[in-house]
Amino acid sequence: MLNSRRLVLAHFWLAFTVFGLALVLGAWQMFIRSPLHTWISNPEWYYRSLTAHGTVMGYVFPTLVAMGFGYAISEVSLNQPLIGRKWAWAGFWLIVVGAVMAMIPVALGRASVLYTFYPPLIGSPFYYLGVVLVVVGSWIWVALMSVNLHAWKKANPGAPVPLPMFANVAGSYLWGWTAVGAALELLLQILPVAFGLKSTIDAGLSRVFFSWTLHAIVYFWLMPTYIAYYTIVPRAIGGKVYSDTMARISFILFLVVAMPIGMHHTFADPQVGAGFKFIHSAFTALVALPTLLTVFTICASVEIAARMRGGRGPLGWIRALPWSNPIMLAVAFSFVMLGFGGAGGLINMSYQLDTTIHNTQWITGHFHLIFGGAIVIMYFAIAYDLWPHLTGRAMRDLGLMRLQLWLWFVGMIVTTFPWHWVGILGMPRRMAYYDYTDPAVAPQAVSVMLSAIGGFILLASGLLFIVILLRAQRAPREEAGLYRFSAALHPPVAVPALNSYALWIALMVGLTVTNYGFPIAQLALRSDTSVPAVYVGANP
Amino acid sequence: MTTQDHDVEEARVAERVERRWATLSIAIIVVLAGAAAFAGIHQATMPQGRVETIQPQIIHLSGEFTEANLGSAAEPDGSVTVRAVGQQYSFTPQCMVVPADTPVVFRATSPDVVHGFLIQGTNINTMLVPGYVSEIPARFKQPGEHLMPCQEFCGVGHEGMWAKVKVVDRTEFLTMSSKNRRVTCVE
Amino acid sequence: MSDDNVLSPRDPWFRRAVGITAGIFVLTALGGFIVLPYAQPELKVSGLWDAICSAAGVVRTSSAQAPVQPDPKLTKVVITSALPATPAPDAIGRGATLAQQCAICHGPTGVSRADSPNLAGQYAASIYKQLADFKNGARVNAIMSPFAANLSERDMQDLAAYYAYLPRLPGYHPQQSQPAPKIVINGAPMRGVAPCGSCHGALDNKTGSPWLEGQPAAYVKAQLQAFASGERRNDISQQMRNIARRMTPEEIDQAAEWYASQPPTLIHTN
Repeated sequence: MLNSRRLVLAHFWLAFTVFGLALVLGAWQMFIRSPLHTWISNPEWYYRSLTAHGTVMGYVFPTLVAMGFGYAISEVSLNQPLIGRKWAWAGFWLIVVGAVMAMIPVALGRASVLYTFYPPLIGSPFYYLGVVLVVVGSWIWVALMSVNLHAWKKANPGAPVPLPMFANVAGSYLWGWTAVGAALELLLQILPVAFGLKSTIDAGLSRVFFSWTLHAIVYFWLMPTYIAYYTIVPRAIGGKVYSDTMARISFILFLVVAMPIGMHHTFADPQVGAGFKFIHSAFTALVALPTLLTVFTICASVEIAARMRGGRGPLGWIRALPWSNPIMLAVAFSFVMLGFGGAGGLINMSYQLDTTIHNTQWITGHFHLIFGGAIVIMYFAIAYDLWPHLTGRAMRDLGLMRLQLWLWFVGMIVTTFPWHWVGILGMPRRMAYYDYTDPAVAPQAVSVMLSAIGGFILLASGLLFIVILLRAQRAPREEAGLYRFSAALHPPVAVPALNSYALWIALMVGLTVTNYGFPIAQLALRSDTSVPAVYVGANP
Repeated sequence: MTTQDHDVEEARVAERVERRWATLSIAIIVVLAGAAAFAGIHQATMPQGRVETIQPQIIHLSGEFTEANLGSAAEPDGSVTVRAVGQQYSFTPQCMVVPADTPVVFRATSPDVVHGFLIQGTNINTMLVPGYVSEIPARFKQPGEHLMPCQEFCGVGHEGMWAKVKVVDRTEFLTMSSKNRRVTCVE
Repeated sequence: MSDDNVLSPRDPWFRRAVGITAGIFVLTALGGFIVLPYAQPELKVSGLWDAICSAAGVVRTSSAQAPVQPDPKLTKVVITSALPATPAPDAIGRGATLAQQCAICHGPTGVSRADSPNLAGQYAASIYKQLADFKNGARVNAIMSPFAANLSERDMQDLAAYYAYLPRLPGYHPQQSQPAPKIVINGAPMRGVAPCGSCHGALDNKTGSPWLEGQPAAYVKAQLQAFASGERRNDISQQMRNIARRMTPEEIDQAAEWYASQPPTLIHTN
């Protein structure tokens, strides 16, 4: 059952439109700071663009995809019409209003503080208010997902919650809790200063709050991708999910350990004790577990599909896979990028290796590879898979779709691999230009140029993606049939602990208290750690 | 054998394979965390050990970050302490000098916004957060010159915030510090 | 609904999940709070409690002791965005009266005819800081120092409020005829010189930095040279000396002339 098509389409279209715009900014930034261009005639424009790119790509785009996909999952997998559709629209419009409100001061150069906020730098209050509205809009979605699940559970007592919805609600709870960190930073610390009610702010505390959000937000971005791995890919390539239980355990592990590990972003910060950094580092290692489990289950599921198609031999089955199917291609690319990105992530999470690359271009390369690469390529796959069911029109550009995915994969590799490399050479992040004529910087020039070329390949791919969606919107009408998610090889049995969240939410909150409680409480209770705000863009 | 039995048998096999993989995954993770702890113990590469606060607005008036005290100081125990300030948009001293093969401690802070303290070609990399003192122990193997860019966005002008670290011979450093109590290579 | 039972200590999932989580936490906490602090020789932990406190990040306040005597001839002014405090209601009027003695050099409307800095529309924090520095000797000038010596705290604040209130000269940069010099918009990164514009107008402003648009070229040039030679030292933590020292004489000229640019008519009618 997919009744709320307009709602889902609205989320997807808005998501991909803002994605396209932010992608243009990203490619421009890559170009402008590379040796292909002379120094920009106003560096402030670069930081303006960087703020817009980060805010849209980090807060608006993935949130909308998760929400739209979440509404579709709720209706399809529970086979019940969405409860609270009016509220869902209200959430959507809150995001529209919030995004516009945030982008106006950014475009005017009144909030060039980057999407990570960086107090004591303080920009226009409307920028922060806009971001808050986006988050509030997404919280409506969190509540709706919970409401819909409970209604279904009441109607189907004791039955196992379908895996897509189980994962979806886990993702929504994770987001609901992880957004609290940034929300506290914005509401209690930044907004009072931005409105001029206060003139000092604890920069150290705000970095701790932000780390609460900053890491788990990546897992929130990741949720639609993982849901697609488990519930779209096997069906799309003619196979089955190898293990439903393993999938549930993975999503629960994300819910519990994705959030209380954020301080690995503050390894180099002077305001957090080393003991807490070590605890967070160890828990970060733990979050690799659900990914390792997922890689195994999905590889096994894919192998099942190949063998059902007549594949043989220990590795020969790989040839039997439906490589002309865009979903197959997308998941393969996604796994390759996840592998490289994950390996890089292991370096970031261990304090000893992190010092070599902390805050260098390596980090930017890393999260573009993971988010822009492994995650977003599956957003494309989700859109391709859902589109005929949302529009009621056929999607026949298979060749173009494959080309688009290839371009995205190649573009992402060409962009991020040199990016990692210059990071190892010590190239700092977020500078509007570099002096490549200096002998100490010159060795980085070729790599940066390559990265910029990769950026243009990505731009071409992103625009092609939008063209494909537009063309599909105009294709002849065709009934796409019932939309369904993958079936499990062995149907799930209702294990209470893997069918509800209470225990896992309790653990998540408990770990937040143990891992974040003292550092936050100590800094929040001290008055001598507040420093004067530094306002940007107010007097150009 | 009925199909149902077959299914149950299959499910059991699946569970066994999964369990093996999960065990392997956990082993990988334990090794990773263990490696981090091992390096922390044996190479003493751990994050800054203590949290220290300072009032950023008045660092130029009193305390260890006044102008006269910035730069490299030879300590009685033979080590060297380098004190520096990162501010919008420069480091002071903008050229730091340290002896090779000597224990060095960098102590730095910021009077305004968040800055980054990164010495290229080394593992010296930390944040300067206003209100807190950052401390990094280090040892440079051989003489040479390192670039030191600010690695955190600190406002328009961030792209111009670069300093240098000059590593000199130990004897050369001692000569320099016999003339000045605080040594820099600012010309 | 079976949900509720999961949260009971009798449920095996509950026991296992809580047990494993707590176990990992305790184990890592032992490592992070006890083993690792002791493994760091430079930390010099004085006991178990000290090890735990330092690893937890219990705050220590930095010692206010100065190992080297601070230079008394440096600025004593503290600059924050909270400065200046809201001026008294009659501050501008009082400032205007006081400013009569400044008019000879700085012009009756705060726009100088004699290569002295224009004060009209200058940031209050900037004016206050310079007056205070002249007064306590951190900045020395044959004409200004005696004037400032007699100013009270209130006088300096009111003067700052008055001049900040006057309309400032806008930047005048007809695009084609005079592109902004590199030093103003890009600086010289490898010499550690940020763009002048990131603090002084053109790109952004930093609290405490003066607005330079329309300032006489001779004045800007002289100050840059004074900073470069170390003759002027009232910039906090060498902020300006760091920059001026690394500028070439050509760059100093370019920056001074670019900021001084004014429409021909304005210069003569003043």
